[in-house]
Amino acid sequence: MSRASGRVTRHGSRVAGVRTPARVVFTGDFGDRYTGGVKEFAIEAKNLRGVIKALDALYPGLGEHLEKETTVAIDGEIHEVGYYQPVRPGCEIFFIPKIEGG
Amino acid sequence: MSTRLKPEEKKLKVVGTRPLRPDGVPKVTGIARYGADYSAPGMLWGRILRSPHAHARIRSIDTSKAQALPGVKAVMTSADLPEQKFEYVGPERVAVNFWHMTRNIMAREKVFYEGHAVAAVAAISKSTAEEALRLIEVDYEVLPHVIDVEEAMRPDAPLLFEDMITRGIDPAPDRPSNISKRLEFKIGDLDAGFAAADEIVEASLKTAPVHQGYLEPQACLARFDPDGQAEVWASSQGHFVIRALTAKLLGMEMGNLRVHPAEIGGGFGGKNVPYVEPVALALSRKTGHPVKIVMSREEVFKACGPAPGSSMTVRIGVRKDGKIVAADGVFKFQAGAFPGSPVMNACMCAFAPYDIPNVRSVGYDVVCNRPKTAAYRAPGSPVSAYAVESVVDMAAARIGMDPLQFRLQNIARPGTPTVWGPKHTHEGFTETIQALMKHPGYRAPLGRNQGRGVASGYWFNNGGESSAAVHVNEDGTVVVATGSADLSGTRASLAMMAAETLGIDYDKVRPIVADTASIGYGHLAAGSRTTFATGIAVVEACKKVIDNLRARAAMIWDVSAEDVIWEDGCARPAGGSKGRFEPLSLKAIAAKRGVTGGPIVAEVSVNAGGVAPGFATELCDVEVDPETGQVKVLRFVAAQDVGRAIHPSYVEGQIQGGAAQGIGWALNEEYIYDEAGRLTNAGFLDYRVPVASDLPRIETVLVEVPNPNHPFGVKGVGEANIVPSLAAVSNAVSHAIGRRMTELPMSPPKILKALSSER
Repeated sequence: MSRASGRVTRHGSRVAGVRTPARVVFTGDFGDRYTGGVKEFAIEAKNLRGVIKALDALYPGLGEHLEKETTVAIDGEIHEVGYYQPVRPGCEIFFIPKIEGG
Repeated sequence: MSTRLKPEEKKLKVVGTRPLRPDGVPKVTGIARYGADYSAPGMLWGRILRSPHAHARIRSIDTSKAQALPGVKAVMTSADLPEQKFEYVGPERVAVNFWHMTRNIMAREKVFYEGHAVAAVAAISKSTAEEALRLIEVDYEVLPHVIDVEEAMRPDAPLLFEDMITRGIDPAPDRPSNISKRLEFKIGDLDAGFAAADEIVEASLKTAPVHQGYLEPQACLARFDPDGQAEVWASSQGHFVIRALTAKLLGMEMGNLRVHPAEIGGGFGGKNVPYVEPVALALSRKTGHPVKIVMSREEVFKACGPAPGSSMTVRIGVRKDGKIVAADGVFKFQAGAFPGSPVMNACMCAFAPYDIPNVRSVGYDVVCNRPKTAAYRAPGSPVSAYAVESVVDMAAARIGMDPLQFRLQNIARPGTPTVWGPKHTHEGFTETIQALMKHPGYRAPLGRNQGRGVASGYWFNNGGESSAAVHVNEDGTVVVATGSADLSGTRASLAMMAAETLGIDYDKVRPIVADTASIGYGHLAAGSRTTFATGIAVVEACKKVIDNLRARAAMIWDVSAEDVIWEDGCARPAGGSKGRFEPLSLKAIAAKRGVTGGPIVAEVSVNAGGVAPGFATELCDVEVDPETGQVKVLRFVAAQDVGRAIHPSYVEGQIQGGAAQGIGWALNEEYIYDEAGRLTNAGFLDYRVPVASDLPRIETVLVEVPNPNHPFGVKGVGEANIVPSLAAVSNAVSHAIGRRMTELPMSPPKILKALSSER
C-alpha cells in the first residue's frame, strides 16, 4: 500500500516510521458485514479520500459503502463524506450512519 | 412574547431584522400555486383504487369493465411499473429498497394496509374516474393483520413478509418475523454503572402513531411526451429527490424528467418521498395526456406515511448527588408496511443531551399493517425523548432535586462522548436550561389541579448538498435561485443573507426556487438544513459575485483588482488607489454590465459540513379537569439554541409550530383502528390536532450561540423544538394529577382512568 493512498492497521499496531495516524472508528454494526466486526483502525492519510481508499483496499467494497451510507465526524465536527476533507495527524474520525430529518 | 439571548457581535444590517416574506402576498391573496393548482390542455384526472383490507393477498385484478367505461383513457396496475431489485441502498436510516417502494406505490402480491394503492384510472373527469374505480374487480384473500408493535413482535404474529429475517442479529435468526432490524449503540459498562447507582428508576411507555398534519394533500400534474421527455409539477420537500425516485420507479433516465416545485402547504417530513407522482406519470405515459392527481384528506391519512407508534422501556441509574451514572433504553418502533422507521435516530438522540458514562440504546424496527412511516419533524427523537425525559423527571423527583438543576448537572458539553461515538463539539445545551431557570414562569405559583413539567431534547440537524445561483440585473436588483423547497420562509432567510453579504437592501433581492433543469442539485428541505447548507451556497455565490464586481470596478477605474475592496454594497478604491475615485455601487457597476464583460452571474454548489446540532428545553404548565379529564395548557415556554436567528419571526414561528405539534402529539392525536385494522378517524374532525383556541401564546426564548462553521452562525431551527414537547406536557400532567402518565396521547379517557387508579 502506497503512502499516498494511506496506511492502515487495526488500532494499536501502528505502522512504524510514519506520522501519527488518525484513529478511525465505525459506529454501530454497519461496517461489520465488510470487516467481520473490526470497528477501529489507525490510518495515516492526508485526507478522507486516503482513509476510504486504505479501508477499501483492506475490505473491498467498504469504500463505496462508506461513501454512500455514512456521515463522518472528524474531531467531533460532523461533515458529509467528501474526499477533500483534511485529516489531521492524530485526529479522531467516526463514520456514523447518515441521518435525514423531517 | 419572545426573548433573545445573544452574544456581542459586529453590527449586521439585514440579518436579525424582520422584513416581509417574499411569498407572503401570493399566499394571502390566493395566487400562489400549490400542487393542485396546476393544469394543462388535454389534462385527464387520475384517481387511485385503494385496499379496503388491512392485509390481504391479491388473487386477481379485473380492469376490463373500468377500461370499457366511456371517458376512461387508461387503467393501470403494478404491471405498468417495472419490477425492482431487492436491495437496501443509501443511508441506513433512510435506506431505500425499491422492491419495497414500488410495492408501496402500487401493491403487487399483497396489500399491506387499508388504503394501499391497488390500481389507478385516468379519465376525462374526476367523476368518471371515480365511477371507473368502482368497476375494477379485485379478488382478495383476506389475511390476519397486526397493528400494535408489541403484538407484531410476538412469535405467533401474522407475518407481513414470510421471508423477513431480522437484520442486526448475529447469528441471524432461523425463523422469519416482523422485526426488520435490531440495532444497538453502547458506551461504557452498563452493569458497573447501575451497580454504582443509589437509585434506579425505570418505566415502560407507549406512544400512538401520529400524522404530520400538513394542510395540503399530496397533489401533482404529470406530462409524459411521445419523445420520452417528461415533466412533473408537484408539491414536495425536494423536487430533485422526487425526480430521482420517480424516474427510478418508472424505469426512466433522470435527465428525461424535469420536476417543477409547486408551493408547499406543509410537509414536516411527510413530503420527502413520492406517492402520486409515479402514478400520474405512468398514467400519462399510457394515455399520452397530462394527468393530474389530487389526494383527498382521507387518502392522505390512510396512504401517506405517518410517524410511528412505539413501545419503550427506559432505566436510569442515579447517585444521590444527582449524577446519572447509567442509562439503558429499548425502543420498539412501528415501521408500517415496509421496513424503515426512524428508530435509529431515536436510539442516537435519546440520551444525547446528557453526559452519562455508561449508556446503551437498543432499537427494533418492526413492520405492521399500517402505511409505511415517513419522516416527521426530528424523526424518532421526540418519541425517545418522551421516554427518557419522563424517566429523567422521575429520577429528579426520586432524589429530591429540581428537574432543571438535575438536567443542568448532567448536561453534555463539548468533549462529552455520544452513544454513537464522536464527542460533542458545540455549546448551546446549558444555555437553554439556564434560560428557563431564569424565566419568571419557572417560579410562578401553581393552583389546584395544575402541574408544571420541563424537558430537554436534541436533534442532529443536517448539512449536505445545495446549490445557489446569484444573478445581478442591470438595474441593480438581484435574483437568488436555489433548488431548496421553501417550507418555512427560507426564501426570506436566503435573500437576507444575500443582501447582507452583498451590502444591498433586502427588497432588492428576489429569491426563487428553481426547477430541476434550472439549478444544480439541492437535497431535501429536511433535517433543518436549508438555511444552513443552502445559506452557505448563497453566501459563497455572493462572494463570487463580489469578486466579479470588484474586477469590473477595477476595469472602470483602470486599476488593479487588488486595489478594490467591497464595503457597504460598494466597490471602493484601496491600497495605492485609496481616495482616488468615488465608490461605485452594485447598481452603478451593473449598469455597465455589457462593456465590463456581460452578465454578472455566479453559481455555487456545496456539500456543507460543520453542522451544529439543535437543542431545546421547554416548560409547560397545565390544568387538569378531574371531572372530564380534559387538559388545558396554561403556559408553554420554549428555549432553543438557534445559532443565529436570520429572521427572528420565522425562527419563533418554527419553535411555536414545533411546540404546538408536540402538544397535539401529547394530548390528542392518534390513529384509531377498528378490529379489522381499518382507520376510523381519517379526517381532521376526528383526528384532533390542536387549534389556536386550544393553546396559550407559546413563548419563545431564542438562545443564540453561533455555529462557527456558518458565515452567519446558523444552526438548524426547524426540528429541535418538537423534541422535548411531548415529555414536557406529560411531566406537567403527571405532576398535576400526582400519577405518572406513561402512554400518549393523554386523552381525557386515559386521564380519568389514571385518576381512578391508586397513587
